[in-house]
Amino acid sequence: MPVSDPRPPSLGWRLYSVWFRHMRVYTRNLVSNGLPPFLEPVIFLLGIGLGLGRYIAEMDGLPFLVFLASALPVTSAMFTAAYECTFGTFVRLEYQKAYDGMVAAPVTVNDLFIGEILWAGSKGLFFSACVVVVMALFGALPMPLGLVAVPIGFLTGAMFGALSLVVTSVVKNINHFNFYFTGLLSPMFFFSGTVFPIESLPRGLRPLAEILPLTHAVRLTRSLVMWRFSAVLLADLASLVVLTLAAGYYGIRRLRARIVV
Amino acid sequence: MPDPVILFENVHKSYRDVKAVDGISFDVMPSICFGLLGRNGAGKSTIMRILYRKAERDASPRATVSVFGLDPERSELAIKCRSGVVPQDDNLDEELDVTQNLNVFARLYGMAAARAKQRIAELLDFMELSEKSRANIRELSGGMKRRLVIVRALLHEPRLLILDEPTTGLDPQVRHTIWEKLRQLKRGGLTIVLTTHYMEEAFQLCDDVLIIEKGQAVLRGHPKHLVEHHIEPYVLELTDATLAPRAIERLPKGSARVEQSNGAVRIYAADYAALTAAADQLPPGDHHLRPSNLEDVFLKATGRRLDAGQ
Repeated sequence: MPVSDPRPPSLGWRLYSVWFRHMRVYTRNLVSNGLPPFLEPVIFLLGIGLGLGRYIAEMDGLPFLVFLASALPVTSAMFTAAYECTFGTFVRLEYQKAYDGMVAAPVTVNDLFIGEILWAGSKGLFFSACVVVVMALFGALPMPLGLVAVPIGFLTGAMFGALSLVVTSVVKNINHFNFYFTGLLSPMFFFSGTVFPIESLPRGLRPLAEILPLTHAVRLTRSLVMWRFSAVLLADLASLVVLTLAAGYYGIRRLRARIVV
Repeated sequence: MPDPVILFENVHKSYRDVKAVDGISFDVMPSICFGLLGRNGAGKSTIMRILYRKAERDASPRATVSVFGLDPERSELAIKCRSGVVPQDDNLDEELDVTQNLNVFARLYGMAAARAKQRIAELLDFMELSEKSRANIRELSGGMKRRLVIVRALLHEPRLLILDEPTTGLDPQVRHTIWEKLRQLKRGGLTIVLTTHYMEEAFQLCDDVLIIEKGQAVLRGHPKHLVEHHIEPYVLELTDATLAPRAIERLPKGSARVEQSNGAVRIYAADYAALTAAADQLPPGDHHLRPSNLEDVFLKATGRRLDAGQ
């Protein structure tokens, strides 16, 4: 064998280069991709905050606008990560065959999807940062405490990225994602303490709300933004991390079987 | 003797109840072009995928796969950073332009930005794509896309190039251009493995071919050697099968081999003069006398009839 054998890139570099690919594609259409994350919270504030807010002054001891604003950064992260790792992943997997091309380079299938989960986290971070900026401008989030929502946005994005990869690994037809969005994510948006506290749910339904992954992200964000601490928050943080790892492990294993044949 | 770049021994690969690769063995020496020939579904692509662990062989203590002396299932990254792969589909990123596509791969290969820039310019020039460096993928013709995928596979200066059907669906001009580029690369010391079902392509490029059928090796050798030793030198082709008896009765008994398929008849023989005399008995237009080629060898080795799987 010749003397100068090339060395494979390190794990960190491989994950970065997968992440870079997604970043490159995303920033190619900066205006159409970068504007909606700012517009959505503005529309939400105008529609719900100013409209509904006139009738509801307080929610769970907080001004209603603040109550909403302390949850919206992570719900925004949830939706963007879910879109990325369902429709986005499915198109790359089945239509563009992008992964088939990428695994010819020195990256493993595991690298591809860990990179993808990190990318979903990054999008979550970006989207929640946009929401924080808008909410701060409207005076709906205390600053600088509101900034803690940004790293939680990363964790939420990574978690829903990983969960969505599991969904994608099961789905055979792109239209089936409608079940996931309408049947799971939309109800989750309403029953995770986003628009009303889960304590007002009927007693029998409360354990169900605790199972919803978004509940942990919302409680963590709202508490930290209000600078309130309790032991439950540690459990919430652990839930985000454990769910990400478990769903990531399972989803990647299943997706691997669709790429390495 | 130098070590082979690729060693395949007794490799099996099954998909449910289909045996895609059924006990294949071969080796590929450095700086040659090795061709895997077979019809659609013969197992060519599966063999290529096993080389870089896009597919995993059936577990067996008797099976060996080694690329640069490494087992793909243990050293997939080390193999991939020494190899370039041109898959069957042009899976280019349609959301990125030509240079961005290459830059994404330069990163995946772990190349420094300055070197990537230089290699991209060099290779686009080599593949005559420099003018398209900022073009969108959708603006490229099929031949340009194929050349771009080859550029992508060569960025990191691999020592092995794996090509799965490099010219399928391309026009003759593009095909000849790609052949010429591949010959230049081979002269530069690159080892090339390709699959094809174009015998002309194998004859033009390959120093060594393996014909496979239903996942099994059928025939192996240099294309010229195969044509010289595994088929009669001449063939009289008749498109009208009813003329066959008239031609055959003119030939000395036992001097010709007759094959019939899809309504056409081919009479293979060593005696050119006798075949010419037989052809002269037939009305002009329905027959053609020519030297045998690799396609005749291939069809003889793999059988003429279509398979259910094709």
